[in-house]
Amino acid sequence: MIESTFQEFADLARRVSGQTFAPGKAYLIVARLQPIARREGFATLEDLAACLKARPNPVFENEIAAALVSKRTEFFRDRATLARIVSDVLPVAAETPARSKLRVWVAGGGPGQEAFSLVMLLNEARPVALEDIPIDILSTDLSKAATERARSGAFGHFEVQKGLSIHRLLANFTRQDDGQWRVNDELRRQISFRQHNLLEDMEGLGEFDVVLCRNVLGDMVESARAHVLKALSARLAPGGHVFFGDEETGVAGLGAGPLEASEIFQGGFKARRSSAVQAA
Amino acid sequence: MKRCLIVDDSRVVRKVASRIVGDLRFDVVEAGDGAEALNLCREAMPDAVLLDWNMPVMNGLDFLRALRREPGGAKPVIVFCSTENDADHISEALRAGADEFIMKPFDADIIQSKFVEAGLV
Repeated sequence: MIESTFQEFADLARRVSGQTFAPGKAYLIVARLQPIARREGFATLEDLAACLKARPNPVFENEIAAALVSKRTEFFRDRATLARIVSDVLPVAAETPARSKLRVWVAGGGPGQEAFSLVMLLNEARPVALEDIPIDILSTDLSKAATERARSGAFGHFEVQKGLSIHRLLANFTRQDDGQWRVNDELRRQISFRQHNLLEDMEGLGEFDVVLCRNVLGDMVESARAHVLKALSARLAPGGHVFFGDEETGVAGLGAGPLEASEIFQGGFKARRSSAVQAA
Repeated sequence: MKRCLIVDDSRVVRKVASRIVGDLRFDVVEAGDGAEALNLCREAMPDAVLLDWNMPVMNGLDFLRALRREPGGAKPVIVFCSTENDADHISEALRAGADEFIMKPFDADIIQSKFVEAGLV
């Protein structure tokens, strides 16, 4: 891929999803876009770039930006954090007077492993404090394909063997004739999946007691990250929490230690310890 | 160091699995069928057994049932590893006393993840 093509795709990513590519990372763009180029009948990425330039198409650009984001996740990733959300964070939120339901948002949830893991935990051991209160779970992703896959709840041989015990697999999934495993209906019914770009307006999504935005913001250019952090915090119900990835603690704005630092702000900007967010 | 017994009639599978399990810091012992594995267990109970299903002489399920009746045979963590991976077969293995189940084909990440689920690493 020639330098100007790298630049064009890097610019597209930055514009659509806020993702930034360092100069040495051209190979990532090649690896992630090659399948799309091939599928669409382009011999090279240069041809694909030329077509996008000549004939701008927001839907196709969004698909390309989504393919360039490469969030890798698995079931029960950062499981101590998930367990704590179920055992401590949600029960405390449920004590807020006049709460008729709790809302959780998995922002950048890909094909749904995080949301499904959370529902599995809630179904296995729902704390007494949550027995009488409904919990709405919303999982959104930039990618249309990932969102559709999440709705289908179908996962492959390798996906269901990473992070999931065999007991959880048998209890929550059904094997399909094609060898894939599909999340059972009663779990899928507990989650809404929706395509959404974090750079776009999120006011319409309402307020949330817990937002999980894990391993999503780390690759963003700083201005986009600051914008998203501010927008996310505005979506928090009073006393709400945002959680970032356990491995993201070194990323500017996302806190400086594990667990307690990953809940870096509560309701507006009453930050526990992130000056970066306050400055944003 | 914990010890893991790898039971599979395929020499290639044993070799691949041995390397992966070795990387997880286990001492590895190999057996080509259930009967050989049972003899090795009688000499020294391993901490974990990675166990194939279909094998000559004695299959994995028969080995597992026999092992659980041996003195000290409740101790090893049994991770079944088979191409028989529909829900009925998996349930049968769990009822016979398996702790975890890997559906073949596997890779290093799967073995590591399953060993974590089984509390081995």
